[in-house]
Amino acid sequence: MTTRVVTLANRNNASYEVDARRPLLEALRDHGIDLPYGCKYGGCITCAAKLTAGQVDQRRQVALNNRQVNDGYVILCVARPVTDITLEIGVECHDKLYRNPFLDPLKPHELKADIATPEEH
Amino acid sequence: MTSDCCGPGYASPAEAIRAPREKLLYTIAIYTGTGIQKPDYLATVDVDPESPTYSQVIHRLEMPGIGDELHHMGWNACSSCFDDGSMSRKYLILPGVRSNNLHIVDTASDPRAPRLHKVIDGAEIRAKADLSGPHTVHCLGSEIIISFLGDAKGEAPGGYLHLNKDFEIVGRWENSMGAIKFGYDFWYQPRHNVMVSSEWAAPNTFMPGFDLEEVGHLKYGRELHFWDFEKREPIESMYLGEDGLIPLEVKFHHDPDSTHGFCGAALSSNVIHWWKDGADKWQWEKIIDVENEPHPDWPIPVPGVMSAILVSMDDKYLYLNNWLHGDMRQYDISDPHNPVLTGQVWMGGLLGRAPVVNGVTIAGGPQMFQLSLDGRRLYVTTSLFSTWDNQFYPEIRERGGVMVMIDCDPENGGMTLNPDFIVDFGKEPNGPSRCHEARYPGGDCTSDIWL
Ligand code: FES
Repeated sequence: MTTRVVTLANRNNASYEVDARRPLLEALRDHGIDLPYGCKYGGCITCAAKLTAGQVDQRRQVALNNRQVNDGYVILCVARPVTDITLEIGVECHDKLYRNPFLDPLKPHELKADIATPEEH
Repeated sequence: MTSDCCGPGYASPAEAIRAPREKLLYTIAIYTGTGIQKPDYLATVDVDPESPTYSQVIHRLEMPGIGDELHHMGWNACSSCFDDGSMSRKYLILPGVRSNNLHIVDTASDPRAPRLHKVIDGAEIRAKADLSGPHTVHCLGSEIIISFLGDAKGEAPGGYLHLNKDFEIVGRWENSMGAIKFGYDFWYQPRHNVMVSSEWAAPNTFMPGFDLEEVGHLKYGRELHFWDFEKREPIESMYLGEDGLIPLEVKFHHDPDSTHGFCGAALSSNVIHWWKDGADKWQWEKIIDVENEPHPDWPIPVPGVMSAILVSMDDKYLYLNNWLHGDMRQYDISDPHNPVLTGQVWMGGLLGRAPVVNGVTIAGGPQMFQLSLDGRRLYVTTSLFSTWDNQFYPEIRERGGVMVMIDCDPENGGMTLNPDFIVDFGKEPNGPSRCHEARYPGGDCTSDIWL
């Protein structure tokens, strides 16, 4: 089994070894960590956490727009760790997840992947 | 007709209006999305002014799991079973929008302390019916149908789950979704063999929150659909365009002979009226247009966001909310083509007109509401949907939701905030929760249909 180390920055840097092929939500819950979740297929955002170091594969997620992805958010129910990673979990890390869509519109490249247009430079 | 028959509900809307006053009501309250790792629950609220616990939560039934996001509810039986002595209005069905679980709650054995009767596992529904994102529950006769907004992967348009009276999955109710792009609410009028359904968005679109740009990318609905109810397939769609962006709640008149019905288009903040004309053709028109309001900090005027509408049991008044503006309105719809504004109350909202109600600072604005059968008491809650709350009213995390009561005058029109009633869900024992839809044990103004 290939394993990765997950460090939870806002849980006193507690770290856990997890199976690299399993979704992080499942793996962390098996370690007894209480995490919010809803749909478990990457569509509802309930399980979002913030990645502050390392890389995950979350190609199956459809909940986040590109701005949220660029802000480091990951969907734990489908994301798998590619490297050792550091996460912030729970709603404490949701500071940038929610924004008033009228006050703070998205640019075309910040939309969800299926409708975003590439950023112009 | 008299009311001494045997089944649930009432012989007619007129009989329903004469029913005894509600003493209890049920509302769902959520922790999903609040950061509190507790199950959502069904709260029993004491609404009997003679009772020492008036205006308080007197019981909480927790769901077995965390993260359901309870939202709307529906009864196992209503007045459509009025002459069926084998049925009774005993079970309330509470779908979890995020988990897909359907909770069947027995409210009859002890109405003050409802108990869980059965849970239909969301995974079973996904596997057997390829559906997710449950919303509206209606019964017809002894059967139950529930709109689901997505397939098992959260993609639109979803469809309808059919349950039998023992709460077993029969399968999909509809024979075809036709060219329908999205699902949401529905209501039917059996004497005209018609059902009307509306459109929100795919679960994968609305659940994570609201990106305004996705409206322009046609990820949100703007059509109403008319169904052949017996054939269980859509036969005509009405493209509402800019007048009908995000058409949410649909209500027919309670009078079973009427073809008039209404829909609140949330983003356009318009009320759409439909009816069948003399040539047997369905027609629609916009009858109410809530203007966007300027806001000092906003680059564009604020839309009302009319997330719900309700028709009084006598079909005389239509109630609507403007969740972002913060007002509830009452219109006299005696002439459904020409509604007249007869009442307005402010509570919360972004415009700052009534930040405090009965001593409680309101986070959110008027959102869901339920009217007493006699049309005199309107109970209003403030939370829309966890992720959307978090976008527009982030302070609701600390403050929670509230339920207020508005006194309505069905004779002359008019509405006033009741000064003695407020339920502050910010003070719940496990921390601030958010209340949403409400129902009364004896039936209410959003559940009963007459055959
Ligand atoms: S639980 Fe719904 S996106 Fe992860």
